[in-house]
Amino acid sequence: MERERQVSCPQCGAPAPFRGTAVSLVCEHCGSTVVRTGVDLRLLGKISAVVDDGSPLLLGGKGSFAGRGFEIVGRLQLRYARGAWSEWYLQFSDGVGWLADFQGNYAVTTPVADGPELPGFYNMAIGTWHEVQGGEHMVVDKRAARYQGAEGVLPFVAEPGLTFFSLDLAGPDDQFVSLDYGVDPYRTRPDVYLGRAVELAELGLDRLRRFEGWRD
Amino acid sequence: MTEATSEVTRPRPAEATPPRLFRDEARTEAVQCLACGGPIALRGFGAIQRVVCPACGSLLRPEDSGALALIHRAARAHQESVLPLHARGRLDGATWEIVGICWRTVPGWPWQEFLLYNPYRGYRYLAHSTGDGHWSLGQVIPGAPKIVPGKRHAIVHRGRSYRHFSGADAYVTYAEGEFPWQVQVGDAAHIDDFVAPPHGISIEEVAASDGVELTRTAMRHLDAAEVWRAFDRPGKPPKQKGVGMLAPNRWREQARSLWLSCLVFLVVWYFAVQHVSGSASEREVFQATDLRFDSVLSQEVTIGEPGASTTVEISFTAYPLDNSWAFAEVVLIPLDGEEAIGLGMEASSYSGFEDGESWSEGDRQVDHVLGRVAGGRYLLQVTPERDTSALAENDPLGLRLGTFGPFGVRSPDTWAIRVREDVFLSRYAILPVPIILGFPLLAWLLGRRRERKRWANSDHPT
Repeated sequence: MERERQVSCPQCGAPAPFRGTAVSLVCEHCGSTVVRTGVDLRLLGKISAVVDDGSPLLLGGKGSFAGRGFEIVGRLQLRYARGAWSEWYLQFSDGVGWLADFQGNYAVTTPVADGPELPGFYNMAIGTWHEVQGGEHMVVDKRAARYQGAEGVLPFVAEPGLTFFSLDLAGPDDQFVSLDYGVDPYRTRPDVYLGRAVELAELGLDRLRRFEGWRD
Repeated sequence: MTEATSEVTRPRPAEATPPRLFRDEARTEAVQCLACGGPIALRGFGAIQRVVCPACGSLLRPEDSGALALIHRAARAHQESVLPLHARGRLDGATWEIVGICWRTVPGWPWQEFLLYNPYRGYRYLAHSTGDGHWSLGQVIPGAPKIVPGKRHAIVHRGRSYRHFSGADAYVTYAEGEFPWQVQVGDAAHIDDFVAPPHGISIEEVAASDGVELTRTAMRHLDAAEVWRAFDRPGKPPKQKGVGMLAPNRWREQARSLWLSCLVFLVVWYFAVQHVSGSASEREVFQATDLRFDSVLSQEVTIGEPGASTTVEISFTAYPLDNSWAFAEVVLIPLDGEEAIGLGMEASSYSGFEDGESWSEGDRQVDHVLGRVAGGRYLLQVTPERDTSALAENDPLGLRLGTFGPFGVRSPDTWAIRVREDVFLSRYAILPVPIILGFPLLAWLLGRRRERKRWANSDHPT
């Protein structure tokens, strides 16, 4: 992992703890979005507004997946017509991953270097099966979503309001594939994230949110 | 429907200092309905898309700020569901709270769906079929079931095969509470149910303006009493009628073990029979061969031990025997008893060639087993009779030409008799077999009847 350099939020001067290959950071103190380009920091302004979606996950939580430890270092919140969900950015000791969090359903994925050639977003029908990384997967979710807000660090600049397109595919044994078409639904080489569905309990997170009237 | 509205509950004081990083405890809230002013308890902690006022049915939407906006003003009456909103219960080893209630129906089959919530475990769907009183618990599954190719509409998931039960559009007829989706009375969704009782998978297609989702829900049958216990309800749950879609079929579930135990019993029976028949001494009491038909046999024999009883086998045969018969009247007269045993034995053999097929019937040797014969001394008397239509002695050259009798017919010259004691009585040994086989067969019949009742309500009645 790249050594963390001591940089400060251009807005409020608080430490801006960029990690690894993170590109953007939401300042914990003033809520500003800070973008790193090369050695420079750029201020995107106070635009992040994560809404409370009742998730039990917390930024900074540490857990493990498939025997590898991770820390939750960022969160991207997305919104579409049927609701909001979060993609938590995970920093493993030897890479990065994402933890999808939708209404109590979770999946951990890691990026795949060379994704397959696939039809464009509009040509992938719900319920159809496609081969991704040697396995058959069914398209179970197809949506256009907007960036709602962010917390912590992210590997790209997520400008709120931007619409992007993505598909979720599920395999017969809980495999989970996310195809990210970005803002261009006609791409034929979407970014591929591969992983599997998980139960929250199996991640062994060291901290979870507290809910009035509930104990985990 | 337009969602734009100016009616908002209140600006939240929290907005000044946003609950960043959510390190504070998430709180339940109590607000007032914007339409009727009735109290609304918010217990879903944020993931909520729609709130339906329990009192008046008005539809509200939480804004990003957490305040509620009125989408649709309604004035329906509150209706009692079989379980109340905000009741808590324990199922699958966790505590759940009913945060939303949704009544849905496919024409003729209404059910009440209770949205169970636990902030650390997400949502479950407790469904109560109001028509027949059956319950099921559903959970969204991450995996994709595979369609089984072939005529039968079926899917397979994690090694279990599910048969298609029904596919229909379900409509929302009533709602109250909080929902993480955009519920509205009148909403339709296509649901396909696949069953492998007591389990099932329901596949529901949910479409919206910006995408479509295929929700897979694994369901499991719950006993009404189990639900009542889980939610600590007083009294008795609504009675369950008929065979529910996912109701277990204990006849089918136990079929395997019944057949297995049947097999075990058959093996035990087989070896027991082998053992008992092997231990039978089959001692020969008397044997005589080459006897002529013109005399009556009269012979004193000793059978078994005095005071004990035994089984006796009498065998009678005659030679030659082609398309002919021989008969013996056998009588066993006890020398120091009263009741004689008498029986008639007929040995015969017939064969022929008809319509291109050869046939044969009859037994050249007949055996008769007598059970429980008292031991002691007996007088054995045998009076033989025979078919005399083609006697070999009339045809010393064996030409069998017309004058001596029909072609291919040989009447017997001699006969033989054998008496054995302590023989194995096979007719009693067979008795357990239909009883052993009867249990699984009965279970199979009852199981089939139950399945027929279940499937009578499906798209595929048998």
